[in-house]
Amino acid sequence: MSLKNFFFLFLTISWFAFSSEQISYFNPPNHFPKPAYDFNSNRLTKEIKELGRVLFYDPVLSKDNTISCASCHSPYNAFAHTDHDLSHGINDQIGTRNAPPLFNLAWQKTFMWDGAINHLDMQALAPISHPKEMNENLKNVVKKLQNKRIYPSLFYQAFKDSLITGEHILKALAQFQLTLVSATSKYDDVQKGIAQFSHQEKKGYLLFQKNCNSCHTEPLFSNQKFANNGLPIDTTLNDFGKWMITKQSSDSLKFKIPSLRNLTYTHPYMHDGRFQKLNQVLNHYNKGIITSQNKFNDLEKSTVLTPNEKSDLIAFLLTLNDKKFVFDHKHQFPREILK
Amino acid sequence: MKFYTILVFLFLSLISFAQQSNETIQFKLSFNHNSIAVGNKYFNHTTSDSISFDVIRFYISNIQFFQEEAFAFSLEKKHHLIDLGNPESLIINFDKNTKQNYNLIKFDLGIDSLTNVSGAFGGDLDPTNGMYWTWQSGYINFKLEGVTPSCPARKNFFQFHLGGYQAPFSMVQSIELVILDKKNIIIQLPIEQLLEKINLKETYEIMSPNQSSVNMAKLIASLFSIST
Ligand code: HEC
Ligand code: HEC
Repeated sequence: MSLKNFFFLFLTISWFAFSSEQISYFNPPNHFPKPAYDFNSNRLTKEIKELGRVLFYDPVLSKDNTISCASCHSPYNAFAHTDHDLSHGINDQIGTRNAPPLFNLAWQKTFMWDGAINHLDMQALAPISHPKEMNENLKNVVKKLQNKRIYPSLFYQAFKDSLITGEHILKALAQFQLTLVSATSKYDDVQKGIAQFSHQEKKGYLLFQKNCNSCHTEPLFSNQKFANNGLPIDTTLNDFGKWMITKQSSDSLKFKIPSLRNLTYTHPYMHDGRFQKLNQVLNHYNKGIITSQNKFNDLEKSTVLTPNEKSDLIAFLLTLNDKKFVFDHKHQFPREILK
Repeated sequence: MKFYTILVFLFLSLISFAQQSNETIQFKLSFNHNSIAVGNKYFNHTTSDSISFDVIRFYISNIQFFQEEAFAFSLEKKHHLIDLGNPESLIINFDKNTKQNYNLIKFDLGIDSLTNVSGAFGGDLDPTNGMYWTWQSGYINFKLEGVTPSCPARKNFFQFHLGGYQAPFSMVQSIELVILDKKNIIIQLPIEQLLEKINLKETYEIMSPNQSSVNMAKLIASLFSIST
């Protein structure tokens, strides 16, 4: 065998070894597209993703050790924060936006309502450093973890190095979040051919495809872009969305198009949590659209739905609830390790 | 098969016969021809005022050597964090084949856009170095912070965090310098020349990618020089 062939054989073997491990923790169904996240730069392993889970639930990441990621992203709310329109952080401080749910992040290219973050690895820096969220800095987190009994050995198991680094903290948090895949709703079962929509759900599905799918595109229920869906601006917040980052007038009032999976668990809705109920959301699309606000509006006119059609559409939206995902023990508080 | 054997043989003989020499690139951050030390006071002629520096920290990337316009070799390590507060970081050691000659060095000030969108890295790129923005993704390519009494900011503190990898505010700058002394390359960055052009009474804070940060990055790039 020539050197070259040997090299290829080696590559093939190691690829299989790696991908079989990855497949057991990240296993999206066939009707999902290819993920955007580059797993070659952060290969999934059990040890790293489990370390990420511990970090996610540990308030040690905040300045006064009171707030964890899960304080604002609760597993029982599909990792959103219910009952709070705006996020609630350290010392009871109120932020300016609603904490979004966390799932299917491997397909997301940009993060935050305004797209401020370009990579899942780097996202955690934002809440850790935000004075109203965790008010800490990564360097100090490294120091605290190095001195907390459980961590040096967990980092050693994960990275073969008990010296904790910022890179490893971020990659572990990313791995845990990458494994939060919501793909077991009734809608998914229908796609897999193991369930059927009811008559009403089917009617709702058609209405959805006609009116909503251009932005909330199947099967992730977001086309991963930004849009202005005609919400009137809340003048107590003056949040202009993507414009805040790009300063391009065409981005004014554009927000990340959120997924519509798990809506039952993730209320209130929109970037500022202004709507409590799905009915209110549909009323907005039905007759609340503001078109005069700026010329870059993406919705030219309201969707006109009869009360019956509204019920049908809601019946369809509820098929996107993924109870199996929301109550999956694998993603919950790591009782074995944290107290 | 024969072809490969010859290749391997050639490769092995290259390794065993080539002579390696150790060389260095040294960064000298100076103010009025004095090496800057953190916290020391210097006299700023532009504002007739004392000035001291808390942080001067920046990224140098993709160091390449050329001989008469032709590429000679590049350093394996891609990104170097140069930090006034960490004297070791001011010297870059590298090994080179004694047969390789060069008379020109090229490098970038800052981090390229691909690295900026590729997630977390360790070492010089680890976000614990304080060279990564938190509220918006992107490396801070150049950081300058200090105190001068005539600066109208709070506590007379000036701070420049220059970065940005997206058009139109991409700030990474390419720099080319002709090399005079081959054993020990000394690259100067005279900060007083920067502060002749940036008046700290008027401009004392840049904290996000914008046109002023691009302008300042260009200015800084033009100030690097090789000394003998
Ligand atoms: C104080 C509440 C709070 C805490 C604590 C918090 N977050 Fe968030 N999170 C938010 C809010 C609010 C947003 C939306 C921010 C924005 O759009 O500007 C968000 C956004 C996100 C996003 C982007 C989701 C998307 O779809 O774009 C991710 C990922 C995330 N948080 C992960 C984390 C992690 C990991 C931690 C712990 C290190 C954490 N969060 C801690 C409130 C919080
Ligand atoms: C032009 C693109 C677009 C279309 C079409 C569209 N939406 Fe939206 N939708 C958005 C954007 C953008 C947001 C987030 C807006 C914000 O928070 O400011 C959003 C938010 C939502 C939310 C809140 C989700 C959450 O987690 O907060 C729901 C529910 C929703 N849309 C349902 C629908 C339905 C149902 C339809 C069809 C009748 C529809 N959307 C059509 C762009 C669109």
